[in-house]
Amino acid sequence: MQTDQISVSIWRGGEDGKYQTYRVPRLESQTVLDVVTYIQRELDPSLSYRFACRVGVCGSCAMTVNGKARWTCRTHVSRVADGGAITLAPLRNLPVVKDLVVDMAVFFDKWEKALGSFVGDQTRDQALAAVSPADPRRREASAGIECIGCGICYATCDVVDWNKDYLGPAAMNRAWTLINDARDVARLPRLQAIAGDNGCLGCHSQQGCVERCPKSLNPTVAIAGLKRESMKAALKGELS
Amino acid sequence: MTIEFEQSQTDVLILGAGGAGLFAALHASTLAPDAHITIAVKGLLGKCGCTRMVQGGFNAAMAAEDSIERHFMDTIEGGKWLNNQDLAWTLVNEAPRRIRELENELGCFFDRNPDGSLHQKAFAGQTFDRTVHKGDLTGIEIINRLAEQVWKRGIHRLEDHRAVELIRSKDGSGLAGVLMMDMRTGKFRLVQAKAVLLATGGGPTMYKYHTPSGDKSCDGMAMALRAGLPLRDMEMVQFHPTGLIAGPGTRITGTIIEEGLRGYGGHLLGGDKQRFMATYDDRAERATRDIVSRAMYSEMRKGNIGPNGGLYITMKHLDAKEVRTRFKGMVQRCHDCGFDLVAGDVEVVPTAHYMMGGVEFASDCQTELPGLFAAGEDTGGVHGANRLGGNGVANSTVFGGIAGDAIARWLPDHGVFREPDLDAAKAAVAATQYPFRIEGGHMPAIREKLYDVMWEDAGILRDAGSLARARAAVDDLHGELMRTGIADDNRAYNLSWHDWLNLESQILISKVVIEAALVRDDSRGAHFREDFPETRDLETSRYTKATLADKAISITTEPVIFNRIKPGETLLSD
Repeated sequence: MQTDQISVSIWRGGEDGKYQTYRVPRLESQTVLDVVTYIQRELDPSLSYRFACRVGVCGSCAMTVNGKARWTCRTHVSRVADGGAITLAPLRNLPVVKDLVVDMAVFFDKWEKALGSFVGDQTRDQALAAVSPADPRRREASAGIECIGCGICYATCDVVDWNKDYLGPAAMNRAWTLINDARDVARLPRLQAIAGDNGCLGCHSQQGCVERCPKSLNPTVAIAGLKRESMKAALKGELS
Repeated sequence: MTIEFEQSQTDVLILGAGGAGLFAALHASTLAPDAHITIAVKGLLGKCGCTRMVQGGFNAAMAAEDSIERHFMDTIEGGKWLNNQDLAWTLVNEAPRRIRELENELGCFFDRNPDGSLHQKAFAGQTFDRTVHKGDLTGIEIINRLAEQVWKRGIHRLEDHRAVELIRSKDGSGLAGVLMMDMRTGKFRLVQAKAVLLATGGGPTMYKYHTPSGDKSCDGMAMALRAGLPLRDMEMVQFHPTGLIAGPGTRITGTIIEEGLRGYGGHLLGGDKQRFMATYDDRAERATRDIVSRAMYSEMRKGNIGPNGGLYITMKHLDAKEVRTRFKGMVQRCHDCGFDLVAGDVEVVPTAHYMMGGVEFASDCQTELPGLFAAGEDTGGVHGANRLGGNGVANSTVFGGIAGDAIARWLPDHGVFREPDLDAAKAAVAATQYPFRIEGGHMPAIREKLYDVMWEDAGILRDAGSLARARAAVDDLHGELMRTGIADDNRAYNLSWHDWLNLESQILISKVVIEAALVRDDSRGAHFREDFPETRDLETSRYTKATLADKAISITTEPVIFNRIKPGETLLSD
């Protein structure tokens, strides 16, 4: 039911804080980011949130919307307003800076811990590698490559909640794309980096990441792939 | 006594973390591995700026049948001969190497042909299919891969940090550092640096409809201008024909839906749901960006508009399945925002996209202020009067890398910590805190008025009368901003404070755009004067140069140097 106003409860403060409620006019074209913007511009100038691109490219504006992690720039109010009410909180599993802003440093640190960066053996003075887009490994890599690093999977993952050292879905999804990149030469160090309970063995396949990923990626499948490959490498004695 | 700011030192300070900033950081750390390098960004590293938002792709003459000379000629023709030819030459020469670096060293994977060779697509205004891309999300691939490598190198990051002012040395002879603000606390810090790279990106976000990322507000250009540096070609603002329009209440308004829709056969309709482009150009919807934008603006001025004041793009006469497959990203984006791109009419409007103008700089990215380097959309001269689609990301990454190399080579002989002018830093702190001393006013109204003025009187079509109106109106808005305050209850992550500071930068740079547009009394590229619709002789082309002194903007013109090729000539033999 479309009402003239929505009631918006927003987390105010840092790790300690409380919810504050605002009444916001309902518009036809209105995303959750627009609601937050309206409150900051017109009702409460001290409200803090983070955004950049406005169109689902940068992953800066993810928040918890009625209990679920979402990117807010592409979430239309009509799809989430529950009886004309929205509750907004910062992303879970990340330290709160203020209000809806979180510190994402740990998320990026884990990306690096999973060796989520390319290691090649060619230079800018050499030709590009010929890689068929139909090659099965390339297809596997391409399936996971469009991650925008919004942290929604990380905020949704219960294993991250239980184990603060768990690398999380996004970092391992990136590692899996690199394992399948024929041009990368750091396969074994990467498999070592993601082995163990803080890595791929920690995943309980609850698939919250799959359900919530706004890009429809499947980190659970990526992590299963990592389990398989690291198991094979371990059996060959390559990981010791 | 309160401490107004802390102080720290870094060898190299990079402002901005888009394609230019990240490439500079990587190149500087490779050539100067012992240097302490810091990269500062208004949001999070890898998430700000417009390189990330690139859809189309990256122009580079990689194919055997293509050539550097051909890419150069396309760039100069596209720029209507206003380009600095050395800069354009550097761009086209370095672009293929940058693509190979992105692929071989940083791990980007661009689209391939079935045989595994690089796929390059056609893009408007080019005589060869040379645009390297990754689907229609090229920028995400580039920035993700760059950010990973920066994280790995352990380059120092100042995230959620705003650059406030460039601070010269006490004797005025060079740059001593940058006054920064930690947005998370609202506290100031003077970061002394031997070399600073200005790479914040321009971004014509002062227009009612605009495409760039929300963090962009012309801060870099404003700081450079206040530091005494000249800005060139500032009248040249590129409009993209198809931005979404859904009312002033949504941030989605102004964001781009891609050019390929028109290329594929999409129709533009007026408010009366009839096509109109054929009356403006034989190519109809497939005419170039500037022509389509002007035609759309003319229709809008006639009042032939939809409920939000825009026109429509429709794909509904085309095969629905094909549209869904080819434009998956755009279809999904429209759907999320409540529009049906496959079977409906989506309301669109021309939208301010890119600033060709910016800080004058040399091919090695040095500026006239010793210690300050510049790269990317903060700079002017590479693109002349119009930028080719696909030359934007080439510009930021090519010159970002060059800046990193140049800074590393410059450091051993020239890199010293200059003694900062602390009075200037204190004055900048006071100016930044100014809105806390004022009560009242309504900032959102000022922003909306600025949007309207720039759109209506200094936008797609201009004349002396409209620009004079814009000059007076923007002066008034500056006065209004100075009477508008911010409550000083909590400075931590105070977005309203940053909105105020953003507006201050946008207003200053709007004034420069208006003054430069008044001086250029001919039409070329992105700049169209209704009172001077013709292009003057190319042989005697001059470019505008804006400076700020005693709070007044002055514009001079300089002759374009045709040191590589003259109008009418070509570097191509066939």
